[in-house]
Amino acid sequence: MNAPVRPPRVNVALAVNGRAVAVEVEPRTHLADALREELNLAGTHLGCEHGVCGACTVLLDGEPARACLSFAAACEGADVTTIEGLDDDAIATELRAAFNREHALQCGFCTPGMIVAARDLVLRLPEADERRIRLGLAGNLCRCTGYVGIVRAIQSVISDRRAKGLGPTTGERGLGPVGARTGSSSARAPVAATQTTGVAASTAVAVPADFRPAHSFDQSFEVGFPPEQVFAFFGRVEEVAACLPGAVVTSVPSPERVEGGMRVKLGPISATFRGAADVARDEAAREGRIRGAGADGRSGAQGEVRYRVNAGSTPGSSQVNLTVGYALKGPLAQFGRPGLVRDVAARLVAEFAANLEARLAGRPAAVDAAAPALNPLRLAFDLVRGRIAAWFRRVARRGDASTPRS
Amino acid sequence: MKPARFALERPRDLAAALALLAQTPGAAKVMAGGQSLGPMLNLRLAEPELIVDVSGVAELRHAGRDGDAIVYGCCVTHADIEDGRAPDVGPNVMARVASGIAYRAVRNRGTIGGSLAHADPAADWLSSLSALGAEVEIAGPSGRRRLTLPAFVTGALSTALAADEILVGVRVPVMNPSSRFGYVKHCRKVGEFAHAIGAVLIDPETATGRAVFGAVEAPPVVVDDARVLFGGRIRPAFAADFDAPAADGALARAGMADAVDRHIHVEVLRRAAAQAYALLGSPSRPDVRSAA
Amino acid sequence: MSGGRAPLSEGVGARLPRKEDDRLMRGRGEYVGDIRMAGMQDVAFVRSPLAHARIRAIHVPEDCRGRVFTAADLDGVKPIRAVSGLPGFKVSEQPPLAVDKVRQVGELLAICVAPTRAEAEDLATRVTLDLEELPALHDMLAAREPGAALVHEHWGDNVYLETNVNIGIEAAFDAPIKVSRTISTGRQCMAPIEGRGAVVHLDRRLDQLVVHTASQMPHIVRTGLSECLGLEQGRVRIVSPDVGGGFGYKAILLAEEVCLGWLALRCGHPVRWLEDRREHLTANANCREHHYEITVYAERDGTIRGVDCEATVDSGAYSAYPFSACLEAAQVASILPGPYDFPAYRCRTWSVATNKCPILPYRGVARTGVCFALELALDAVAAEAGLAPEVVRLKNLVRPEKMPFDNITKKHFDSGDYPEALTRAVAAIDAAGVRARQAAGEADGRRIGLGLSIYCEQAAHGTSVYSGWGIPMVPGHEQAGARLTPDGGLELRIGAHSHGQGLETTLAQVAHEVLGVPVARTRLVHGDTAMTPYSTGSWGSRVMVMAGGAVATACAELAERARLIGAHLLQADPADVRFEAGRVVGPAGDVGLPEIARIWYLRPQDLPADVNPGGLEVTAGYKPQRDSGTFSYAAHAVVLAVDPMLGEVEILDYVIVEDGGVLVNPMVVDGQIFGGLAQGIGTALLEEMPFDEAGQPLASTLADYLLPGACEVPAPRVDHMETPSPYTRFGVKGIGEGGAIAPPAAIVNAINDALRPLGAQVLRSPATPRRIVEAVLAARGAPEMTRDAA
Repeated sequence: MNAPVRPPRVNVALAVNGRAVAVEVEPRTHLADALREELNLAGTHLGCEHGVCGACTVLLDGEPARACLSFAAACEGADVTTIEGLDDDAIATELRAAFNREHALQCGFCTPGMIVAARDLVLRLPEADERRIRLGLAGNLCRCTGYVGIVRAIQSVISDRRAKGLGPTTGERGLGPVGARTGSSSARAPVAATQTTGVAASTAVAVPADFRPAHSFDQSFEVGFPPEQVFAFFGRVEEVAACLPGAVVTSVPSPERVEGGMRVKLGPISATFRGAADVARDEAAREGRIRGAGADGRSGAQGEVRYRVNAGSTPGSSQVNLTVGYALKGPLAQFGRPGLVRDVAARLVAEFAANLEARLAGRPAAVDAAAPALNPLRLAFDLVRGRIAAWFRRVARRGDASTPRS
Repeated sequence: MKPARFALERPRDLAAALALLAQTPGAAKVMAGGQSLGPMLNLRLAEPELIVDVSGVAELRHAGRDGDAIVYGCCVTHADIEDGRAPDVGPNVMARVASGIAYRAVRNRGTIGGSLAHADPAADWLSSLSALGAEVEIAGPSGRRRLTLPAFVTGALSTALAADEILVGVRVPVMNPSSRFGYVKHCRKVGEFAHAIGAVLIDPETATGRAVFGAVEAPPVVVDDARVLFGGRIRPAFAADFDAPAADGALARAGMADAVDRHIHVEVLRRAAAQAYALLGSPSRPDVRSAA
Repeated sequence: MSGGRAPLSEGVGARLPRKEDDRLMRGRGEYVGDIRMAGMQDVAFVRSPLAHARIRAIHVPEDCRGRVFTAADLDGVKPIRAVSGLPGFKVSEQPPLAVDKVRQVGELLAICVAPTRAEAEDLATRVTLDLEELPALHDMLAAREPGAALVHEHWGDNVYLETNVNIGIEAAFDAPIKVSRTISTGRQCMAPIEGRGAVVHLDRRLDQLVVHTASQMPHIVRTGLSECLGLEQGRVRIVSPDVGGGFGYKAILLAEEVCLGWLALRCGHPVRWLEDRREHLTANANCREHHYEITVYAERDGTIRGVDCEATVDSGAYSAYPFSACLEAAQVASILPGPYDFPAYRCRTWSVATNKCPILPYRGVARTGVCFALELALDAVAAEAGLAPEVVRLKNLVRPEKMPFDNITKKHFDSGDYPEALTRAVAAIDAAGVRARQAAGEADGRRIGLGLSIYCEQAAHGTSVYSGWGIPMVPGHEQAGARLTPDGGLELRIGAHSHGQGLETTLAQVAHEVLGVPVARTRLVHGDTAMTPYSTGSWGSRVMVMAGGAVATACAELAERARLIGAHLLQADPADVRFEAGRVVGPAGDVGLPEIARIWYLRPQDLPADVNPGGLEVTAGYKPQRDSGTFSYAAHAVVLAVDPMLGEVEILDYVIVEDGGVLVNPMVVDGQIFGGLAQGIGTALLEEMPFDEAGQPLASTLADYLLPGACEVPAPRVDHMETPSPYTRFGVKGIGEGGAIAPPAAIVNAINDALRPLGAQVLRSPATPRRIVEAVLAARGAPEMTRDAA
């Protein structure tokens, strides 16, 4: 067996449940994993790891926060209280009695986060009514109880305290994220995350034979050159690719095939699709298509550009009709905001059309204004580095195996 | 669901943060509270090589009045605004928006600057601050610049921020006492990202207003002169003048092709206007959710 | 426990707070993710990004060898086969790691093992895939069509099983009212807050593979896992620790468990896999996706003449072990008639394979779907006949004097008064008042709707029902162990599992009822195949009936043994002593269980010569007199407000009139009803896993797959009827799933009631704002609506 090369770790000092501790974690380790795996404080549960379910809620500097969305290294010096640290806490004790009485838990998995959130409600909103309590619990999902017992339990603790004349408890608190302390890094060169270098896999991505885009965009424009000249331009695939922000052609093995990649950025998300494209042209109809597929190891994309060059409205000019379509697979497709991807794609297509138009007209193509981080050099680097998969072979169907989608 | 490897630096001040960005062109990502970036990292949708964590930078954790505006440092949290630790631009205006963002535990770390820099079209600050006429302050190697929100947000999750720049603050004009702010979002459940947002800032005394259609899966559609949505003028009883077909037309021109989507966004904006009108009478705290 | 309490105040019927709460509230439960073992390494899987593809190659970089394993490495491991004995069932073979083809997004392709999960995920990104994409089936109706792509080529079509029943439907064709509807339910994820997970190691001393896994059915997993790994069952021990919610999701043998079992044997150190939320949502089992074409024939007075239905269930790519891919659809045919008494019935069903995750029976199983279909259709009948919805139902519900009742599909109803439940619900919701409010209208423009639904829940059905299915698991007698400890405490052992149901408390109550041992002195041992009798586990709302009956039987035997020892100690004739509330009482004194236990264990010289050598430890088996199942039921009534402009729905009042037979702990029963209702609201309004045309699941986070939160779930008003089952110990009935069955039907009926004046209706769950607005605009004749025109 190959011994794994362990990634670098950093030392983080925290005060956990009143005790000073130091944990050795990777910078990417979130606080919940640091507590669970390094300190064996397993009462902080993980239910979603993206901030919705609330099972990992802990107190950071006394205020509830998501341990799954706080990196331990970003909490250096913070005061952390987990459910285990609330054993002797007065409010938590009252809450536990009420939770037990009102049957506010079944499987118990959400309960630690629920108690932490409930404690905050009791202290912060001593006048809360049922509606306010429910709003305050919106960030803690329970799949078992229907919240009936939980709401009743919190109501009873709040009304007990109200009867005792206890007001809200709000500590001194400055502005800014809880758990954050002034850092110490000066402007020295940071330690880069050393990524293991992989070996690039087969680059032979076959192009889908019956590709149907899930989304497509139409653009058309006129340029002051005759159709044959414009159509000839579309035959020079490298020049066409230069108009598509993020696209890079690495080789043109034949007139019908190009290889390369495309880097697409969606906010902090970026994907580098490496693959190949097939080129088809119909001289008589002055139309053609470039159809490609690529993958970045986890997500994949298929896309096509169809173009048709017609005579323009004035002699010697052309009308260009473009249809650009795509389909995504993998995590990027499953990231449930297809509208955002469409917005990016629409902007890319608009820019592609504008660049084509400019280039045809002899003007320099605009720089990647809409996608400032699309850096061809970095793309090339990525291509060398790997993490590339070729899982988009979609060759001609075999008659015995399958039939087209309806 | 664990992030890809990254290095994390906690610069002691803004200058150090900017220097870190300058040394790692394109490879770093600035993180404030991490409540938007965190999920993307955990899901390995975002894989920066370096995180520059500015959450502890003191000069970014302040809020205060500067002339006719309140300036919020980028690390001011939603909870800071909700609780009133940071000043508001009008009675319960930004506090109300803040209290409807996600959940309390998220609001304790999520920041106004981080939210704007993330530029998720469905997020609250992008739409509400567009209606309030906010500007962002950006610091970079060559100094500072200011951009209006429409100039700042270039697309879904995309901004004009260069790789070596940091959004350091948000400048929100203090509301004229005679103006009213209406803000309604349409969600399927509490705390969820909005499916439609309507925001209006209307001043019946000056007969001016601004309206925003938000959560349109693209930058908000800002109607800078809202009179077109109220029959060409803003009267004291403006809510009754809301012109749904005009609003529908504005959305269609902005590229919203789906009629059901337009119907929902128009209705949500109508309710925001009605809410602003209702606020003329009472300074109460309306529920942000449209169902209430 | 509090001293001085009358002993039986802790027995059957006591509203007792739970024993298990304290450790869970202090974060000291022990869930599978909390288990730490020296040398343990984490596993992440390479999963298919495509829904349907041929595998051409999986490339593992040289420097990852020994840490990444593919199907080629899994020598001797057999595929998971969940068969059914029903005629015509087609078997799917699910290799633990995909071979040749992937048939769903998320299917396992390679195991990656590393010191931490993050590093294991790093490894997974180093593996490259060479896949030849095939057309994906995302629509079960299209998958049924001739010429569709094939999920399992050798089948020739995509139908696991087709069933057909016709009981004289032709006689109904001349009915004056004929209402036909196309009704469907969205695909869901069960979404317990804790995912699945397993920690597996080899116990060298016992030469046993020890599998800690979050399971509802440890003994069934042991059987299935042993078969796949080719191990004697004695070499496998399953421990299901605290489990963070099941709902059916953890009633399965996992491909991941098979992989980890193989891996632990191979690599010699403990290995762990914890399912993350994205794996849960995009890769692992779904549930609920049904499609109905239903026609109800009726008289003008609402009397049902017959029901005719074609039902299709999207069973996904593989048949899940042990319930199989056909349980749900085939069950539709037998349970669609629900609690209604009518003379003619036809139902065809199809269990269809698609390129999606397998389905599993989720709380309520097919009942939620059939209740939705039939109750929506009955409201349509009521509207057609100009009758109130309750009138149509009361006309057709089985009458109490007919109990026990065999319905048209030969379901044997044990007891109950369904019309009474509905009548109480209608009264409690104040139907007359709601109608008056509707007539008056709402100032805010919203519309009020009233919705009803009623269902029956066959539960704890046993051998006579399941032997017919021919699936890998048929429940027989349920056993329980009961042992008095030398200090007078009681240990109970059951093979089923408690993961929220409160069995540590409620089975102690059952034991207390028989044996009188304080609940605080009673401990439940469960979830460990090494320490408990065999059981098919916790599913089908069966545990209180089955394990409860077994515990009572074992405790009764223990009481009798104690009585005989006690008689000897009291120097009385056994005929003159009785066992009463934990004591043996004779003519001239009594002796308690602690003393009897002390004598048995520590002073055997004081025992009678003919003492039962089995001592104070009993394993007893139990089956109800009739094992065709208990029938609990409830009538749900809801009043809600619909915003027709935005489609938002607010539940204003919710009434449940529930009959679960004799309740062991009414507080726990209420908890099950409240929790079920919340899940039913999720089904009705929020939860859906959509797929695109390529079979990509589109909700990979809880920001997209919406679970009900505290603001979306009301506190219902619950009224209990308690009609004992004539067949079970104490007259208990199973009630665990019922709460989740009726809400989608009641809520969508209420939405349609609210929208009826607008001419709009919604016939699909979840009734999202978008679907409601689309229905309203369509009824208005709004311009052609185009989606995704961009």
